[in-house]
Amino acid sequence: MASGTLRSQGWARKLRLGGPSSTVLIMLPPALILFTLFVILPLIDAAYYSLYDWNGYGTPTDYVGTENFTKAANHSVFHRAILNTLIGLGVAILIQMPLALALAIAIYKNSWVNTVFRLVFFVPFILAEVATGLIWSFVFDGNTGLAAGLANIMGTEPFFVLASRDYAFYAIMAVVVWKYFGFHMMIYIAALQSVPDEQIEAAKIEGAKRGQIIWHVLIPGIKPALMVSGFFAVIGSLQLFDVILPLTGGGPSNTTHTVVSYLYSFGLLRLNYGFGSAVGVMLFVAAVVVAVVYQRQMNKGAAQ
Amino acid sequence: MKTSHFLAGLGKTAFLSVASIFVLVPMAVTVLGGFKSNGDLRENPFGLPQVWDFSFFSDILSQPSFWAYLGNSLVISLGSVVMTIIVAGAAAYVFAQIRFFGSRMLQSYLLLGLVFPFATAILPLFIKVRDLGLLDTYWAVILPQTAFGTALAILLFKTFFEQLPREMFEAAYVEGCGYIRFFWQFTLPLSTPIIATVGTFVFVNSWNNFLLPLIVLNDRDLYTWPLGIMQFRGEYVTEWNRTLAFITLTIVPAVVFFLAAQKYIVAGLTGGAVKG
Amino acid sequence: MAKVEIKSLVKSFGTVSVIKGINIDIPDGSFTVLVGPSGCGKSTLLRQIAGLDMPTSGSIMIGDRDVTFEEPSDRGISMVFQSYALFPHMTVRQNVEFGMKLAKVPAEERAKRVANAAAVLHLEPLLDRKPAALSGGQRQRVAIGRSIVRNPQVFLFDEPLSNLDAALRTQMRVELAALHKKLKATMIYVTHDQVEAMTLADQIVVLNAGHVEQIGSPSELYERPQTEFVATFIGSPKMNLLKGRAAEAGKAATIGVRPEQISIGPDGMWEAKLAFVEYLGNENIIYLDSEFGQVIARAAAAVDTPFGSTVRFGYSPQNVHRFGADGQRVA
Repeated sequence: MASGTLRSQGWARKLRLGGPSSTVLIMLPPALILFTLFVILPLIDAAYYSLYDWNGYGTPTDYVGTENFTKAANHSVFHRAILNTLIGLGVAILIQMPLALALAIAIYKNSWVNTVFRLVFFVPFILAEVATGLIWSFVFDGNTGLAAGLANIMGTEPFFVLASRDYAFYAIMAVVVWKYFGFHMMIYIAALQSVPDEQIEAAKIEGAKRGQIIWHVLIPGIKPALMVSGFFAVIGSLQLFDVILPLTGGGPSNTTHTVVSYLYSFGLLRLNYGFGSAVGVMLFVAAVVVAVVYQRQMNKGAAQ
Repeated sequence: MKTSHFLAGLGKTAFLSVASIFVLVPMAVTVLGGFKSNGDLRENPFGLPQVWDFSFFSDILSQPSFWAYLGNSLVISLGSVVMTIIVAGAAAYVFAQIRFFGSRMLQSYLLLGLVFPFATAILPLFIKVRDLGLLDTYWAVILPQTAFGTALAILLFKTFFEQLPREMFEAAYVEGCGYIRFFWQFTLPLSTPIIATVGTFVFVNSWNNFLLPLIVLNDRDLYTWPLGIMQFRGEYVTEWNRTLAFITLTIVPAVVFFLAAQKYIVAGLTGGAVKG
Repeated sequence: MAKVEIKSLVKSFGTVSVIKGINIDIPDGSFTVLVGPSGCGKSTLLRQIAGLDMPTSGSIMIGDRDVTFEEPSDRGISMVFQSYALFPHMTVRQNVEFGMKLAKVPAEERAKRVANAAAVLHLEPLLDRKPAALSGGQRQRVAIGRSIVRNPQVFLFDEPLSNLDAALRTQMRVELAALHKKLKATMIYVTHDQVEAMTLADQIVVLNAGHVEQIGSPSELYERPQTEFVATFIGSPKMNLLKGRAAEAGKAATIGVRPEQISIGPDGMWEAKLAFVEYLGNENIIYLDSEFGQVIARAAAAVDTPFGSTVRFGYSPQNVHRFGADGQRVA
């Protein structure tokens, strides 16, 4: 039998309904189509719209080149939004992650008390961002909230922190830490529990103190988890939006915008779709850079 | 030795207590605030209500729009869960079970979805949804949510499917069972743990999602509860107690459900995190 | 019932050929065992017969039908896997019925066949249990039951006993032999265990590195191995291969002598040092260091010479297997 017919008979079998090829052709396209339609095409469209001055109706015709990008680059509110995003990143890495790690080390061993603590610390993460924002805007409310109560107790004038141009964003940061530290803590706990007990016992036999065990055994042992949570912290800072809207809406005087809330206010609400797309493209580039750097670091870590 | 142990224990307890207070107090005052009068709320934000006032709760519970918000959120979340499990499950099955030309390339393509923030393409996404004529339909939220959730779901499903024994497929195949039948009759029934994980994860994300419904839903009859609560807050700006009651009514059942399912949420997070 | 013919079968994965042009005739109703070391291609060959893999070239006939490109389910075969591959979410009954349901066998007929198989394999009390609640031997029986009910022309077994402990393996071996007698069906059985091959087979196919070394009955393989490979692969402890002066004396490149044919005594031809003796109760395995390397002998009588002392050993010329430089048997 010639190998040509052999091969074609083989293909006939593969293509039969219920065979491998027809299965690929039936089961894969839904995911590919949805993903392409709602994730990839919008990304490509964003790059295209970003070169036009467009209000979202009809087809974009008013080609403006890179003007949308330069406009953003020269807009002081956008500068402030980038600065806020960077502050958010700093807070995530310098306050949120250490806090989460300390708590994880304190409660990673399994006991019912620790389980209760874990659940308590995890609750804010599963609350909706919007609910979180509203709860805290009550807490910070100088008229009726906790801030008012504190002022009452201390006998001072009530302070409206969310209306303060200097402090509002730090108040938002407190909310962000409150909402997300439990997530990072859970990642660390899962990793800490997989550090082999033998390593800890060996260190004890060598005479290591508790602090030394944490520093030399536990933390190196969960390095991949630290990298992962760092990655999520960066991506999360870039995307910060949902809690901003109920807390300040970007105010006062546009001092508390993040990149996404800036995109929402100046692109979508004001019907500057070309401009908003340009901001989206910049955000996208930032995310790609972060992902590439992260992948490099992970590969380096894996190579060692 | 003994005293240092004791001090360390004391320090740890103090640390955990402060953290717990930080987490719990805002939630506690929210729940209690819904029972207080305006004056009580101002004078006594921390304490128990002087008079327990249930009227805000009963008001909200008797509003049809409150139930409509929750119903919309439920339909959209369940729709997203079912769509994601079928669409991502089918794709992951193909990648795990069948070797074909281009498989690796298509996997990398779909995994791009792990990296991109939802917000980067939100404007073109709105336009796409509008051009497809889907604005103000449940699909406007369900389809993009499924598309964005697909990457993580495929990753979790594929890892799990690859651990199902290969010989089981061959045994069924020898008996005359095709690939697609095997998916429905074997792979899915044997994958309940990962389906629970992916399902819970998608549900939580959808239930809490704000930005996407905000942009694609303008019809108040279709509002999900996060949109509804913002609407409500806008209408009763001066009455915090009313808003707090509304928040309480939406978060208490959610928190109870999420605590019950937290095992699956954590598995989804850490599983995706470790592989990602 | 049907014969199976494998003609010029080649299977390559990329540039690596795992099966290099094999021809085998498996007579109707025979119990044929494919045996060989791991990586010899025996499991790959079985998978081609089953239709789980497609050959690169060549053909497979079952009965008088060319099935090379047919689906596994259309070939009239059934297969028992090494891990049993039971479906964990189905009861024993559902496991056994599954293939018949797909083939749209009417419910009455299904029930009848399940009852028959259950009676043959003593599965009646287990029918409503799930596989997780069964022991290893019971799972094995269910896997066999699943293959019986389809009334296949050919049964395929892929190392079905390798996951069982030694005692259970012996018992299942006996049951399989009895089953073959009862069903009189063609069975093709893959194993790396030569004891299983010798005890179960009417025909053994010895495979090595993708080609057939020899096909024959157990006694043919034991008594007239065609190659050095077969000579050493069949039989335990394995056949001694002697070169040098011993081979010259036998007029061959290599001669082979089975351990039980080696006699130790003062009138032996060759000198050796007694290295070690394993006492097994009914017999002794004696290890000698000779000019030909290690020589193994097997004797009922105990050896009372101390280790390290010099002894003589020999064999009678009619018990010598002679091999040429190419490893093939000469005359």
